[in-house]
This record gives sequence, C-alpha cells and structure tokens, in this order.
Amino acid sequence: MHMNRPLTGCMITGPLQNPASDFSVIASSLRYQSSALGMVCETGENSGSNAAFSFEFKTPHTSPVICEVTRWDDASRHTPVTENIIQAACGLMSVHGRASGKSQALGVNYVSTLTAALALQGGVAASIGQLRGLSVSNSSVSMAAAALLSVGQYIAGATAFESPETLLPGIIPQPACPPFVSADGVIFELETLDAGPWQKFWLEIGVSSQIAGKGWTAFLLRYAKAIAPMPAELIAAIANLSYSRIVELCAITGMATCPIRSIDARAQDEDCKRVWLQGPWEFAFEPTLKSTPASVAGNDLPLSGLTVIESCRRIQGPLAGHLLALLGADVIRIEPPGGDPLRGMPPMAEGCSARFDALNRHKTIREVDIKSSAGQAEIKELVEHADVFLHNWAPGKAAPLNLDHEHLAAINPALIYAYAGGWATDGGAQSSRNIMPGTDFMTQAYSGVAKKIAGASGTQGGSLFTVLDVLGGAVAAQGITIALLNRCMNKVGGKVTSSLMSTATLLCSDDLQKLYKPQNTDITNKSIIDAVYATRQGHCAIECCDVKTTERLAKALNITIGIDEEGFHQHLSDLLLSRTANEWIEVLEQADVPSAVVVEDLTDLQTIPHLQPSLTTGSYTKVISPWRFK
Amino acid sequence: MRITVNIPTILRPLTNDQKRIEITALNVLEVIDQIEQQYPGVKEKLITEGQAHRFVNIYVNDNDIRFSDGLSTSLQDGDSITILPSVAGG
Repeated sequence: MHMNRPLTGCMITGPLQNPASDFSVIASSLRYQSSALGMVCETGENSGSNAAFSFEFKTPHTSPVICEVTRWDDASRHTPVTENIIQAACGLMSVHGRASGKSQALGVNYVSTLTAALALQGGVAASIGQLRGLSVSNSSVSMAAAALLSVGQYIAGATAFESPETLLPGIIPQPACPPFVSADGVIFELETLDAGPWQKFWLEIGVSSQIAGKGWTAFLLRYAKAIAPMPAELIAAIANLSYSRIVELCAITGMATCPIRSIDARAQDEDCKRVWLQGPWEFAFEPTLKSTPASVAGNDLPLSGLTVIESCRRIQGPLAGHLLALLGADVIRIEPPGGDPLRGMPPMAEGCSARFDALNRHKTIREVDIKSSAGQAEIKELVEHADVFLHNWAPGKAAPLNLDHEHLAAINPALIYAYAGGWATDGGAQSSRNIMPGTDFMTQAYSGVAKKIAGASGTQGGSLFTVLDVLGGAVAAQGITIALLNRCMNKVGGKVTSSLMSTATLLCSDDLQKLYKPQNTDITNKSIIDAVYATRQGHCAIECCDVKTTERLAKALNITIGIDEEGFHQHLSDLLLSRTANEWIEVLEQADVPSAVVVEDLTDLQTIPHLQPSLTTGSYTKVISPWRFK
Repeated sequence: MRITVNIPTILRPLTNDQKRIEITALNVLEVIDQIEQQYPGVKEKLITEGQAHRFVNIYVNDNDIRFSDGLSTSLQDGDSITILPSVAGG
C-alpha cells in the first residue's frame, strides 16, 4: 500500500481563514501543511481567548486535541506581535545580523512556519499519546518558544561557561562573506566538506595556499557561528573570472557551486510543483501485523517509551532527534568510534561543546563503526526493538551499508525509517543535484530562499543563520511523528523522507502558490511601518500592518500622520532617537502596537522575564521543550 | 624549538587535565609524537595512516596545517599549536 496522505480521515477545525492578524501566516501554513497530509480543514470559531489562536486536531480513533498557539510562553503577556517582531525579540535578527551587516529581519515567514509545524506536530503527538492510554487533550506552543528553539545552538554558544562567543550584529564588514560574485555578475555559492578541493580550487586561481587556508578557517565558521570573514584576496581573485570558468574549475578540483536563483526559477524546475503539492514529506507505508506500541503511564509524554535510533551528524538530523526526545522518545544516538568530533567544538560547557549539547543532551550514545559488518549487525540488533530509525547520510550511502529501508524493514516491519536529506526526497530522480553537497547554504541558493532573504536584507545571498537546517530538523521530526500516528491508527510501517529542499518549499509555499495558483491567493498588503529603528540606547523593531495600528502609534508618540509618507518616517526615526528602546517599547506596548527591543546580545535573552519560561540557565543557557501537554 | 600546544577540552582527560603543554620539536608530527610519549592515546585521536583525521583541524598559530606542509609543517621557536574539530553543515 502506498499512501502519501497519511492523515486522510483526520481533520483540523479552527479560525483558519480569519485569525487575529498576528496568527494569519501561521494559519496559512497550517492550511497548507494539513491539506498536503490529506486532512480536511474546517473553518470554525477560535475556541480560546484573543491571547491565543487555537484549533482542534481530530482523528477517527481519538478524541479532539485542542492545539493552542500563543504569542509568548508567559500566558499573562498579550502584547501583539508579528513575524518580524518575534524575530527581533528572540535573537533571530541578531544571528542573521552577524554577517548581514545589522540587526534585521530574515524576510521570510520563518518563525510562523516553524510554529505552525510544531503546533500541528503537538496535536499529532498528543493523539499518539491518547492511543497509548495517556489522558491528554491539549497541546500548546508559543511563537516565542519556536523562535528561541530555532536559535538554541547559537544561544548555547553565546552563554557557554568556558570562553563564550560574543558575536554582535554587524561584526563582519560587508561583503566579506559568501556568496561570491563572478566577473560576469553571477552570484553563487561554493561548497565542499573537505579542505582538499578548497585548496586545489584556490591554487588554480592563483591564490597562495596560506591565504586559501585563512579562507578555509573562515568558511568552516559559517555553520557554527553564522559568520565567514573571507580574506579580501579570495573575493577579489574570483571576481576576475567568468562564472563558466568557475564552473570548469569546480569540475576539475572537486568543488561544488550553485548560483543564487530566484523562487520563479525554482518554480520552473520539473520537480518543484510536485514537491509543493505533496508537502515537505514523502511517505510510503506497508501493512504490518505489529502496530500498537506499549502503553504509557500517567505523567509520561506522548512518545515516552518509544525508541529512536539516530545516525546523524551536524544540525538537521540531530535537531530532529532532539525534538523527538523532547516529546518523550528514548533516542539512541549512533556516533563513530571515539565519539562525534563536534563534541569538542568550542565553546565548551562541562566538558562538551555547548552547541553540540544543545541538540544532543537528551540522547543515549552508542559508539558504532557503521562501516564494519559487526557495526552493521549491532545497528540491526538495535533496530529490531526500535520504533524509528533516522539518518542523514549522503545519498546512496545506506544501501552499501545494508542499512537501507529494505534491509531494516525486513528485520522490523513496523519500523518507521526516516531520512533527513539535503537535495530531494527522492534520491534517484534528482541524481544530478545529488553529486553536490546538499548543505544549508547550497539549498538556500538553489531553492530561491537565499535570493528572497537577500532582497529583504540588502545582501547578495542567504542568511548564515542555518535557516533550512533548523526548519528541516523540525520538518523531519514532524514527518516521523505523523508516520508514528499512522502506524498506531492503521497498522502500517514505512518510510518518511524530507529534505532541506522540501523544507525550502514549505518556507516558500505562499510564494509558490502565487505562481502556481494566483487565483486562490489571498491579497496581503505590505505593512505601513516595518523597520528597525535606532534609539538613544539600543534598537527597537516596530511593525504597523494597518492604518488603525499606525494611528495608535501616532497617538501614543504624539505625532501626526500626514500625506507625506517619507516625512512621517523621517519624523518617526528622529523622534525615536530621543529615548531608549526600553522606554519606547513600554509606550508602544501600552498602545497595542507590535514592537520589541531588538535583542542584539544573545546573553540578554535569559534576563528578559517573559522569555524565561522557555529557558534554563546553567553551564550554558538551554532552550526547553516548546510543547506543553495537559 | 619551544612550542606551546593548546589542548582541546576533549583531549584533556588524556593529559591530566592540562590545558597547555610545552614541547620542544621541529615539526607538527614530532609535537604529536612527543605528546603521545607523555600521554599515550592522544595520537590515535588525531592521526590515522599518517594523516591528520578529516574531522580534526590543526593550526600552527592561526594557520591550518593542511594549507602548509601538513604534519611535516616546520615550527619556529614560540609557535603555538591549536587543535580543533572541524564543522560542516547539512
């Protein structure tokens, strides 16, 4: 049986067409995700107060779960927000600003998309809990908790006990970071996971080995620190070559390259519309006799007692495992003999890399050499008693290891086999792309996400904040949870695949809708005010989506809205310089104007009272589970 | 040549928790061999088959040895060596 709509027969009901404006993007992403999963979306009343957006998730086998989405974790706080205000308040602008020149919004509906995915996953997980005997009828997440989760590893780096990183917005002079620009004006990424191709490539161009080495050190920093201070010599040398010559040199040296493309160009790709219609996950199920997992006790979490075997490196896969652990699963993490080298990546906290610990702290570690037959036998033994096997190996690597779906399903037909990939959900069809490393910055470039971010940020390329790795981890965990629910309901085992590219499709689903189905597209107006302003001390972000909000802002600040829009903006900028960001936000919050002090130093997050419910301090500041079940 | 080696936290269990070790050696391989003599087990964490591990970066001052002469990179009096894991994304 093949079925790519595993939640057919399930339903979500809520104010999906007309939520409070703060939640409209979340509602839109929820509609998209739910339809892709085969669910019926029914418009109903908001069953919660104005402080929350709530919807009901129902399956034919469980009682409805009320899924609540709040703005903040602190239930007493009702200050209105927008996507960009949450990015300002929770540190995303800060991380994106490290390499983009200043604190500024990403220009994509990042937190809203992530919040929608986590909210739906909460409902699905709670339903699994019910089927396992748990009394749970309510799942809640907040936009702030989702935002903090997305920068959890950067918060860890900034707050680690031993040599914490202080990386403030604008720290790197522009444009000394990738992407690169060729002599004929093509903007492109370079990628390699090894020093060898990097060294050969720059030697071919005539750059000294020493300078190339400095560039390599900077290049490696991208994934960890969201900066990449490239030596000027590299940028200058490559700017003398045409892009076609650069492509030739990449082929000779083993370097990969990808031009920064538009979403329009991506939409023309043969596979894009199919991925957009399908949603970011690809499911395939087979019937199995064994299905119902062991029941759980009163205070357990929905996935308590389920076992996940994770063989993943870096960010996307480990974050997926981390989220499943936060839902209660026992995650056994396979690491190479000697342990994952990233455990030693500074800054350190109690003997382990803080950044690594942020994604892996709830897991049990097993050191296994997966290349040896003894190691493969060990994995198979673990899989026999597991519920999920998750990996993010390079395309084509699983089969030679005898650890592909076919081999593992033969051992355990009820297994959910999950792959969190880079380029595509179907490895074979996209093999030409599969030869390039499917990393965050390459997929940002290829998918159109980088160009969209560049357009909003005044930069040439995407964000050095690992936009797709983090959202991709959430998408992978969500797909696994959905597959587990389907297993409980329909006695099936199977496979779920997601990728950074399919995640990009989710992040840009509204843009693709405008291209593919313009007649069904809601008309969204640009906000009247949406900017980061300097104040006497610090910056504040203000967004007024409509005239009424702008009028409230004008009244609170005692300024007049004239017909001269430019004059008004200038007046506002000048006025805001007269007091501190904290003082202004107090005034604006009272007037119900979406606004926030822009958090520039991530160590400040833990001192902000309304963010404290999501954080715990210690050897580094940890972001706790975004879900609350009752 | 008198060389300072900054020991990463991950290797400190092998070096009696020492953060810095002073070594006299002419190149990087000699440094590692001498640490190995004092603190057995360090070498296999850094080198396989005569090459530095793919996931280990060794820097002389701020320069990655892969972009000099690898483990044969020669050293000057007062140089400092830093060992760090390498990171890549996806």
